[in-house]
Amino acid sequence: MASVAHAHDHPPAAHQSSRVDSRLLGIYFFIASEVMLFGSFFSAYFFARVVVGAEGGWPPEGFELPVYLALLNTIILVTSSFTMHWALQAVKRGNRSGLVAGLTLTFLLGLTFLLIQAREYTRLGFAPYDNAFGSTFYGLTGLHGAHVFVGLNLLLYALIRSLRGHFGPEPEKHLGVELPGIYWHFVDVMWIIVYVTVYVI
Amino acid sequence: MAVEIEHATEHHPAHAPPPPRRGLRRLTGAGWLRVLWVMPLSFGLATLLVIGARAAMGFDPLWELQVLIVAWTVVVPLGFLAALGGFDYWAYWISGKPTRPEDHSGHGARTWKDYFRVNTDHKVIGIQYLVTTIFFFGAAGLMAMFMRAELARPGMQYVDTNTFNGLFSVHASLMIFLFIIPAFAGLGNYVIPLMLGAPDMAFPRLNALSFWLLPIAGLIMMSSYLVPDGGAFAAGWTNYVPLAVQQPDGNLMFQMGVQWAGASSIMTALNFLVTIITMRAPGMSFWRMPLLVWANFATSTLVVLATPFVAGSQFFIMFDRVLHTNFFNPEMGGDVIAYQHIFWFYSHPAVYIMMLPGFGIASEVISVFARKPIFGYRLMALSLMAILILGFSVWAHHMFVSGMQSWIRIPMMVTTLVIAVPTGIKVFSWLATLWEGRIRFATPMLFALGFVTMFVIGGLSGIYLGSVPVDIHASDTYFVVAHIHYVLFGGSLFTIFAGIYYWFPKMTGRMYDERLGKIHFWLTFVGFNVTFFPMHWVGLQGMPRRVADYAPEFGNWNLVISIASFGLGASTLVFLYNMIVSWRAGAPAGPNPWRALTLEWQVSSPPPIFNFHEIPQVVGSPYEYGVRGARHAVLNGDRAAVEEREKVEA
Ligand SMILES: [Cu+2]
Repeated sequence: MASVAHAHDHPPAAHQSSRVDSRLLGIYFFIASEVMLFGSFFSAYFFARVVVGAEGGWPPEGFELPVYLALLNTIILVTSSFTMHWALQAVKRGNRSGLVAGLTLTFLLGLTFLLIQAREYTRLGFAPYDNAFGSTFYGLTGLHGAHVFVGLNLLLYALIRSLRGHFGPEPEKHLGVELPGIYWHFVDVMWIIVYVTVYVI
Repeated sequence: MAVEIEHATEHHPAHAPPPPRRGLRRLTGAGWLRVLWVMPLSFGLATLLVIGARAAMGFDPLWELQVLIVAWTVVVPLGFLAALGGFDYWAYWISGKPTRPEDHSGHGARTWKDYFRVNTDHKVIGIQYLVTTIFFFGAAGLMAMFMRAELARPGMQYVDTNTFNGLFSVHASLMIFLFIIPAFAGLGNYVIPLMLGAPDMAFPRLNALSFWLLPIAGLIMMSSYLVPDGGAFAAGWTNYVPLAVQQPDGNLMFQMGVQWAGASSIMTALNFLVTIITMRAPGMSFWRMPLLVWANFATSTLVVLATPFVAGSQFFIMFDRVLHTNFFNPEMGGDVIAYQHIFWFYSHPAVYIMMLPGFGIASEVISVFARKPIFGYRLMALSLMAILILGFSVWAHHMFVSGMQSWIRIPMMVTTLVIAVPTGIKVFSWLATLWEGRIRFATPMLFALGFVTMFVIGGLSGIYLGSVPVDIHASDTYFVVAHIHYVLFGGSLFTIFAGIYYWFPKMTGRMYDERLGKIHFWLTFVGFNVTFFPMHWVGLQGMPRRVADYAPEFGNWNLVISIASFGLGASTLVFLYNMIVSWRAGAPAGPNPWRALTLEWQVSSPPPIFNFHEIPQVVGSPYEYGVRGARHAVLNGDRAAVEEREKVEA
């Protein structure tokens, strides 16, 4: 087709062929990929635990996990999911102080979780190289910890921008809160699965 | 490439790229000057970080190459990407600065230099992908030539056994992770938004970033030759434990390279999926999408779901090596075979990641050059989805002789044979599409037909290898080498060539030399068959793969294979010559030299900077060749006319 002299500095607006926002869809697919990454770590865990097994059951003799401390940590992380939800509801209503308070609380709860986990690591009495148990334990909880760290970063950026008043009640203007929120909920749900698998059953 | 020069002058001053920096400030702006000083800096930083941390924790020795390699291959590439400007937008976002709305000044390429920048135009990125992957294809091909030189005669000639192991390992890794997978991603990048009637991909900046991860992955793998004491990784591209853990330090370069390549392909796949779902032109329902788009939809789903498993498998090896964990150490409760399960849970679907886009290309080309609608369009799309699902249920057919639990064998054998059904549907549909067509044997068509025939041979030997008793006999022999090359060379590479020739006029606006294209095809086709077909026989007679030396009785066939492989290698020169010369001085191709219906052919060649002046309206199937009055879409001024026609018909 003859490229006539169109004055198009801008692309024509793409036709939106799905009701779901492209960025939301993107993060859902990304989370699907993340779930599979956890899946590979769970596979390694179950190969060590079920296929090979260990003398004296699981955890093997001489290894013990602080189930109740981890339960406390679980409660902290689940609470942070609620505060995250609160922050999102606040920004949807145009309540900026609620948004800032929600994000700050979520961030602090997440940070507490990570600090408690770090302290747990130093007191466990075994290391990643001690046994396949140690390797898979640190593998799964460490992978999750890394995700909490990434989530905390995202929350921090959202917090910075909310302090500068970049967010608003219109859907387009609070996507920067919604996306980290979705990721944060994913990290929480993943922890519940990790906790139940590694500590409880 | 002269891309739309008239648009450059039309840019409103507010949208023009920022004025070039002067003096020392040139060193801080995104670009290669910044790369020049950031890369050594990040190299030093990573080194200091490791040595500092080891000193603080009282480890000995301070200089531990394995840990340093991990730090270097993480920090230096990140520094490179940041220096090139890959993170600029997000850096603004993070720090709470107002982000500049995309001003599109990065769109299009006006000079060749624009191909060396972080460019957000999917057409530029597509070409960046293709040129980069062809470079790695050449490098990996040369490694194959070295191997064939060594194997031409029994006994040891040119290289020692360890170098030979490095050659075939890097050859396979580059071909798979840096050529086949990203070459399809490159073709998809160029074509998919055009086929959908979209101005670009859903996430252009992510798209640019995912391209720049590729050269990083490739250079990491290639530079493994430079690692002291042992050189390149040499445990094969499958990198089985415990060998991988016992290997010299170069093995880490495989693990880290795979992570970068994997991240790149996951990001591209996310982009494809979201683009296909959210950016189709009005009227472009899923059942009106070209099969190439369907194929990339299925492939991208596979990439998103399967690639994390190869990432995991290589993480575990890295941990076992560097942190001395016991994921795969049986003395400490680990499971050696777990590695193979996790690895093949990705790497069997990876076979389809390397095949399905080729299926899509073959469908486009065969329909256009036979001037007939695709036979059983919906079944073609559904069989892609069936392969996608079944592909996750067959991984252990690579492990029949691994010593895994024997009860897994039969179910995996059954699913493997079942997967031949959707694949067979596709082959018969191509044949039925050709039936009574007005076939034109242009170069893309020759490669597509070559693909169908060679892929059938590869598929048949796959059925042999999928049956437990035959596999036990043929496992780890040249029969397997023959099979994989019939699938990945005769299958994937032939379709990549078909795709490159088919869309070359669209990408460059110029026609390739048809005579050279045909010479390239016949040299490749004959060279390929003489190289790889005899491998079936020597394999069944027991010649093991992955060895530098072999029994003298296989000498004659290996000489034939080696001579043919050099001819095959030389045929690539014809291809490169044709591409370079035609790109510079080929005859103008016009918008639609193949008289194709899909949307990318309804715009100029090369397409306008934003693909369409106005989003087209899709009104019918993309494959109604030979059907009078059929249209796939209407563009620009035609819209009123067609609405009129529809009214009359109603
Ligand atoms: Cu397989």
